[in-house]
Amino acid sequence: MTISHHPPEDLLADFAAGKLEEAYQLVVGVHVAGCTRCARFVRAIEQLAGAALEDVEPVPIAPDAFDRVMSRIDSSPEGEAAPPLTSDANHGLPPALRKYRIGKRRRIAPGLSMRPIELSGSGKARAFLLRSAPGSRMLEHTHTGTELTLVLEGSFSHEGGRFGPGDFDYGDDEIEHRPIVGDEGPCVCLVAMTGDLRMNGFLGRLIGPFVRL
Amino acid sequence: MIAAIRAIDVPIRAEARVPRRGEARLSIGASKGPKAKVDWADLIGRVASHGDRAAFKRLFEHFAPRIKGLMQKAGCSSDEAEEIAQNAMIAVWRKASLFDPATAGAAAWIFTIARNLRIDLFRRRARANRLHTDSELPDAPDPAESADAIISRVQDAARIESAIEQLSTEQSMVVRLSFIEERAHPEIASLLGIPLGTVKSRIRLAMNRLRDILDEEA
Repeated sequence: MTISHHPPEDLLADFAAGKLEEAYQLVVGVHVAGCTRCARFVRAIEQLAGAALEDVEPVPIAPDAFDRVMSRIDSSPEGEAAPPLTSDANHGLPPALRKYRIGKRRRIAPGLSMRPIELSGSGKARAFLLRSAPGSRMLEHTHTGTELTLVLEGSFSHEGGRFGPGDFDYGDDEIEHRPIVGDEGPCVCLVAMTGDLRMNGFLGRLIGPFVRL
Repeated sequence: MIAAIRAIDVPIRAEARVPRRGEARLSIGASKGPKAKVDWADLIGRVASHGDRAAFKRLFEHFAPRIKGLMQKAGCSSDEAEEIAQNAMIAVWRKASLFDPATAGAAAWIFTIARNLRIDLFRRRARANRLHTDSELPDAPDPAESADAIISRVQDAARIESAIEQLSTEQSMVVRLSFIEERAHPEIASLLGIPLGTVKSRIRLAMNRLRDILDEEA
């Protein structure tokens, strides 16, 4: 898998610091898990964070904290046994995605369907899997917010180039997208998005409501 | 503010492992002055190999107050920071055998544990607020890494170390203030006494430089 489109560095640094809201953390995390180049960058930021942890002014912790921690360790030395992964429906997805509940596939338009990913609700962005038929023209749209897209299968192309598996596409309100899906097979993308999509054209107006999920 | 300025005066790596003596009272034994630097990785190894409580206590006394300090700096309340610090130390005990000193520094590893706990805390809180059932499935173990992946992590560690050393002190500092301590750009500008525009360009340059160095050595 040759990855040629990566997240911007400041997004990777925010990811390493744990600052991104959930939907973005998820999409960047799935990219990083499959991209040695970005994983290396993230680890460099984590090393810097380790140095910051060493240097920070310590704040006294509760006097009984150590005893409480030890008694919790003693009462359950191995930690709660993690249950095996469930949910066959998530089989075949990247490991970082498998622990989420993913809704049923919903048909949006001919050749286009999506599955919502259930998040905790701590952020404003939504996340979903978007599946488009080979050769189809994806929704022509502009954004009112920020959209992160990660290709899981297949490919699409737009003004910014061709995006295949592992490639990461960053869209904001200044970018107008007219993606076209590659012929080699369906294109499955993991998408995180704030704001609404503004659909252009007749098809867009017809299916516009889907983006409110 | 004073604490922040003091932090800036501290060299990034040199002496970073030697606890500084300050007016902040640490619990007993946390700071024994400028003795030989402590090998935290070795202490984690002792916890992993035979549940060494004395080693764990030293880790606890050093790192728990620092985790709390960093979490408060990054916007957690005192109670939240305390909870994260205690839970992080429990995770250090339980996951000690997963720590590999060849691939990450001890402090960086502990940082990632605390960071993940903070993320979990915020999500749990949001979930509780919504009175919803859990949307995430119960915590699954991290997927096992392939042997290839582990080898490349070890090779990467040296490269990452060398890349960080090549950043200037100024560049490391803006990255730390902006991303790790989560300070707003205007605040960084006044801390460092530089114009806002310089803060933004310095962050950008630091990011690009880090990526360039990491790519070069590939």
